[in-house]
Amino acid sequence: MELEQTLAKYFGYTTFRPGQKEVIEAIFEEKDVIALLPTGMGKSLCYQLPGYILQKPVLIVSPLLSLMQDQVEELKRFGEKRVVALNSFLTVSEKRYVLHFLEQYRFIFTSPEMLLQQQVQDKLSQMQLGLIVVDEAHCISQWGFDFRPDYLRIGQWFSQVNRPPVLALSATATNKVVNDIRDTLSLDTPFEFLYNVDRPNIHLGRVVFEDKADKVHWILQHVKETAGPGILYMSSRKRAEQYSEALIQAGIRTAAYHAGYGAEDRQFIQQQFIDGELDWIVATNAFGMGINKPDIRQVIHETMPANVENYMQELGRAGRDGQPALAILLYSDGDEELAKFVVTGDLPTAGHVDRYQELLNQQVHPSQMLKNGELSETAFRVLDYWLQQETMEQVKVRLNHLALEKYRAVDKMYKMTQTKDCIRKQLVGYFGQKLLKKPENCCENCGIHYDEINKVRLKEEKKIEMIPWESRLKQLLLGC
Amino acid sequence: MFHQILLQIFQKLNNERTISAAYHVLRGKRSGQTIQDIGLFQLHNYFGLLPKLPRKTFDEAVSTFLQYSWLIMQESGHYSMKKLGLQRADQTSDFLFDGWHYRGNEHVFFARFSLIVQSLSYQSAGVRTFSPISRDTAIQSWVRTFLVEHNYQDGHIQQRLLEECERVLAVLPLSEANKQLVLYRLSGHSLPGWTWQQLASERKETVLDCQLAFIELLHTLLNEVHQTNDYPLLGEVAEGLRVKALLTDSAQQTAHLYEQGYSIEQIVQIRKLKQSTIEDHLVELAMNEPNFSIGPFVSYEEAEKVWQASKHYQTKKLKTLHEVVEGMSYFQLRLVLAKGEV
Ligand SMILES: [Zn+2]
Repeated sequence: MELEQTLAKYFGYTTFRPGQKEVIEAIFEEKDVIALLPTGMGKSLCYQLPGYILQKPVLIVSPLLSLMQDQVEELKRFGEKRVVALNSFLTVSEKRYVLHFLEQYRFIFTSPEMLLQQQVQDKLSQMQLGLIVVDEAHCISQWGFDFRPDYLRIGQWFSQVNRPPVLALSATATNKVVNDIRDTLSLDTPFEFLYNVDRPNIHLGRVVFEDKADKVHWILQHVKETAGPGILYMSSRKRAEQYSEALIQAGIRTAAYHAGYGAEDRQFIQQQFIDGELDWIVATNAFGMGINKPDIRQVIHETMPANVENYMQELGRAGRDGQPALAILLYSDGDEELAKFVVTGDLPTAGHVDRYQELLNQQVHPSQMLKNGELSETAFRVLDYWLQQETMEQVKVRLNHLALEKYRAVDKMYKMTQTKDCIRKQLVGYFGQKLLKKPENCCENCGIHYDEINKVRLKEEKKIEMIPWESRLKQLLLGC
Repeated sequence: MFHQILLQIFQKLNNERTISAAYHVLRGKRSGQTIQDIGLFQLHNYFGLLPKLPRKTFDEAVSTFLQYSWLIMQESGHYSMKKLGLQRADQTSDFLFDGWHYRGNEHVFFARFSLIVQSLSYQSAGVRTFSPISRDTAIQSWVRTFLVEHNYQDGHIQQRLLEECERVLAVLPLSEANKQLVLYRLSGHSLPGWTWQQLASERKETVLDCQLAFIELLHTLLNEVHQTNDYPLLGEVAEGLRVKALLTDSAQQTAHLYEQGYSIEQIVQIRKLKQSTIEDHLVELAMNEPNFSIGPFVSYEEAEKVWQASKHYQTKKLKTLHEVVEGMSYFQLRLVLAKGEV
């Protein structure tokens, strides 16, 4: 019962959540592991707990700086002091200090970019690590949607070092992506834990509109009449702001959320939502990462997301408390065209390939393209990686493939908007799993009685009023 | 508020600069030209209020002014204020900014202060874990040290901090609404802050104006805290944030050599910079350093001639002064103007 004791001692929990124990046990058997666990299901505990039993540091490679910061903060909240983020935010002297004492940390978070630096590799190769964690491992896959070329290079590094077990974590991945993860990281007959994709307490609604104007009307009406808390996902920042404004005008406690707002403002909105001061968040897909609110009752997609993975991840934020929740996907003619336009907008084109070469010929560093705002950071990363490996022609072919692949992903999502079959069965099938049992009010096609799930919106929700500064100051400092 | 500030800057620049000069002042550009403008036209208060001000926002405000016929533009980028604009500028309120002495450090103060308040709020509520409002590790470690040094766990510091904040806010000559605004940029346990958007719509003004009101309050508060010794805790939080060395780094090095007795020519050689750059530095020094004497470069009689001409022609334009005051170099003229009338 050593695992349970450690769990209680360091984290204060008494039981494991599904999958955690299986994964941790496999790690202790020195097996490589691929674990697919949804966010909010205690993914990070799978390496945090071993960190306290293995007497060697755990190295966590994480592709997103903000996510890394969240995880570092989380460990610090549990009272862990031996945790460090080795990333590009460190000053030269801080980095030197961290590297010097690296073996003394229990948890070392780092980015793929950092891991490729020679001095970091040198240091790590002199150390005995207990476990290497690759977080958001789907970024490895070129079929994935957050493709990070630097992750491929990590695979090369793995095959060189005499390494401890590797734990690859992801929230969403298809079979194809799992295969990519296994091959790229050269994992050795890994133990695979795949959680059950199906979330039986989330009922899957779908509404199809002939006219875009009807959609606007439907959303406003629906939000006015049914109870939150809910998230309304939008395809753009501008739309999120417009809808939010309209809902506020209608007297609904709403805020818009997207990456264009400052960090403090984003935290304020999250906290207002969690504390129940807001009923609806109108957001781009930037919202949700790291938010932990168990009682979200509705997730509505104003238009289809770019792929089924994103859709599952976003709707999965509803009903974490296990109580009935509703996910509604809205569709009007031509939404798939918009989605295709958006997904490829971020890809480098053949024109960018030529431009890259042109700059090289002029002895200008190609990152100038990025500075000029000619393409996005992700796009540049992809371009830069491949052009160092392959010829221009090969890269053009590859980019073409990538665009096609993204179109295909949109098409699969589009199918979900059109299917006459059980939507749940289709979604679960997409991830290579079989639906064992259909819940009541399963989906739009099996039949939903919305009134059995939705509660009527209570009208007396009070808008929060500002109080005088003296009182607010007292509340903040003394709690009264 | 933004429009009022901009009008005031244009008024002070006295039609002698391009409109971009005002933009550089607000962004706090650390170039010789902008630093000199600050001294010449007494723009210290506005310096660096909005380091991230987008050019687009600035240009939109200027085109509004053009539309209202508050000013007209010349092809060179210079402007002249019209009667209507001058009248409007005269009607604007006096603001209490002190950009010159804080240069964005007010945000460091507030980041420290917010995290202290947030920590204490959770402490009072008996909740140990929360997401820190500031992700900046320098801020976090500063606050941690501060809290530990004040034995925050015994729970007395809350009361002391409350008392200091109440006292300092009460004496600030600013509206109750602006004090409230700042309190709602703080957050605590079960007390989320409000976003700029939310505050702006509540106050029925733009986000930018809210942010300016916030900065004005912080400047006023910091000055009050620095000028008196009455706020020990806040004084600590504000420590080191008032800019003492008013010179750019490069000018500082030149000043150092000059004080050691090197001549301009020698400094040019040592620093491998152009003579005009070294002269810029000395002008900057003249503007900022009360003990700096322009005596070695200009006689008293010459200086007086320049002051009189400046008054007579109502201008600080170097070109005009160069024409009317004979036998003086641009460098000498700039020194005299920078030093101001004694
Ligand atoms: Zn169904």
